[in-house]
Amino acid sequence: MSRKQLDRILLAVVALAAFGLPLVVTSPTYLQILILLFFYAYLTTAWNLVGGFAGVLPLGHSVFVGIGAYTSSILTLQYGVSPWIGMLVGGAIAAVIGVIIGLPTFRMRGAYFCLCTIAFAEGIRVMVENIDTLGPLKINGPRGLLVPLLKDPTFWDYQFMSKLPYYYIILVLLILVLAFTWFISRSKIGYYLAAGGEEPEAAAALGINVANYKLFAMALSCFLTALAGTFYAQLMLYFYPKGLMGLDLSFEIAFIALIGGRGTIAGPVIGALLLRPLNEFTRIYLSDMLPGLHLVIFGLILILVMIYLPKGLTAPLAALYDRLARKITGQGAAK
Amino acid sequence: MSNILEVTNLTKHFGGLTAVSSLDLHIKTGEILALIGPNGAGKSTVFNLVAGVFAPSEGVIKFAGQTTHGQKPWDLARLGLARTFQIVKPFGSKTVLYNVMVGAFLRTNSTQKAREIAEEVLVTLQLDHTKDMLAANLTIADRKRLEIAKALATDPKLLLLDEVMAGLRPTEVDDMIGIIRGLRDRGVTVFVIEHIMRAVMALSDRVVVIQFGQKIAEGSPEAVTKDENVIKAYLGGEYDAA
Repeated sequence: MSRKQLDRILLAVVALAAFGLPLVVTSPTYLQILILLFFYAYLTTAWNLVGGFAGVLPLGHSVFVGIGAYTSSILTLQYGVSPWIGMLVGGAIAAVIGVIIGLPTFRMRGAYFCLCTIAFAEGIRVMVENIDTLGPLKINGPRGLLVPLLKDPTFWDYQFMSKLPYYYIILVLLILVLAFTWFISRSKIGYYLAAGGEEPEAAAALGINVANYKLFAMALSCFLTALAGTFYAQLMLYFYPKGLMGLDLSFEIAFIALIGGRGTIAGPVIGALLLRPLNEFTRIYLSDMLPGLHLVIFGLILILVMIYLPKGLTAPLAALYDRLARKITGQGAAK
Repeated sequence: MSNILEVTNLTKHFGGLTAVSSLDLHIKTGEILALIGPNGAGKSTVFNLVAGVFAPSEGVIKFAGQTTHGQKPWDLARLGLARTFQIVKPFGSKTVLYNVMVGAFLRTNSTQKAREIAEEVLVTLQLDHTKDMLAANLTIADRKRLEIAKALATDPKLLLLDEVMAGLRPTEVDDMIGIIRGLRDRGVTVFVIEHIMRAVMALSDRVVVIQFGQKIAEGSPEAVTKDENVIKAYLGGEYDAA
């Protein structure tokens, strides 16, 4: 058996397991936990296009989740447009706003860039909280939007009576976005993003317009992030600015990426697999004691990971898999 | 033979400081030109002006017959101007092959093709045994070679080498001289900044000497090292040329 075959078999097993999981997990509560796990893995993968490959640390991506949710929901509520269409409109708007935010901020480096993205994100959230109507659009300020429950929803309504379709929708979205980032990371764009993120001057000297590539990655990332916003709106059927567009969500995405492994394909999934259950159980069992304790625990984990595994959990796991694969395929350890 | 680079009346002010002042120089296609001068003479500023990092305060730079005013480093790279950095800038977290492929992607969109170009360049620079190493783990001599490899992978017409010999041991300097000669034989015009005079003497067809941003001498390596102004510049005014 060759290494390539082994990789394929492993991938197929993981994918099959993911598709078959609802056969075992039938409780809606646990299914919901899995759905949110995939949702976060998806968001972090989309974030990773900028935060991982392009080497900057944006901390305001919840705004784009919000833009997706608001756009598709307003279009559905006021104009009867299917959320499937609204989702794409939201993605396009998010991409444009992402580029507008990126134009001034990508000139900055390190902490200054982080702070600016936080400022932009919080600014937009506060604006949404204080706007009841924007022209003909009812935004409803801090009360948020309620997507009415339909009696006999069809697929076109992006609304389902059971959790199962949501599970498969987010699973397919996750697989698509993972395949997309895999493709990007092996193409010219991926090489150029990584080079520009690591040494912008050297990259420019090799013919790379670093700012343009970062903006392109930002547009892609924001577009994909907004699609998840529509998914969230249709899953929860209710959302409000503070819950959806706040810093909690932005930080959790960054936490998952940093702990899982920034700039790796599997990192967001591995990070979400570790942190999401932790988040859910600390919320269920510890939130009576102290709300927000889960973020403190995340912080502790992040500190430990950054000290002992600065590249995240993916690198050592990949090395372990490498060793196992060599044993199974019977190839020597020497290169 | 035509001139690949023509610099006329080049001047650059940084605030009150004039780093380069009314400099004229040209490079013929296929030659190796060395730019030398004491520390702080403005050599690297000249490189940065030619490579499009800074815009000149005055003067004209013509590359391959085209005025480069307003063109950014990435535009010039596409036109065939590549450079290395005095303080090497590898993409440290990536492998050597990855580093060189970034350069190779300038002339192709195919990952497969970029890998082929990169592997060929690595063989030229005798770096192929390091291709799977992380760039951050290379020795200083190999890092300097990697700088050249990245630049060479963009398939340049003119290559600016900024002190690629600095910090190398004498035998490594000899290897590097061989490599740079090999580049010229491949048809690349080379413009070097160098402090190691042995290398300048061995390599260059012509030498331009600058001090305080102004040209004080130009000519063959032998002529330039005997020039009174040059000796004064390096040793100080109180010494007479013997």
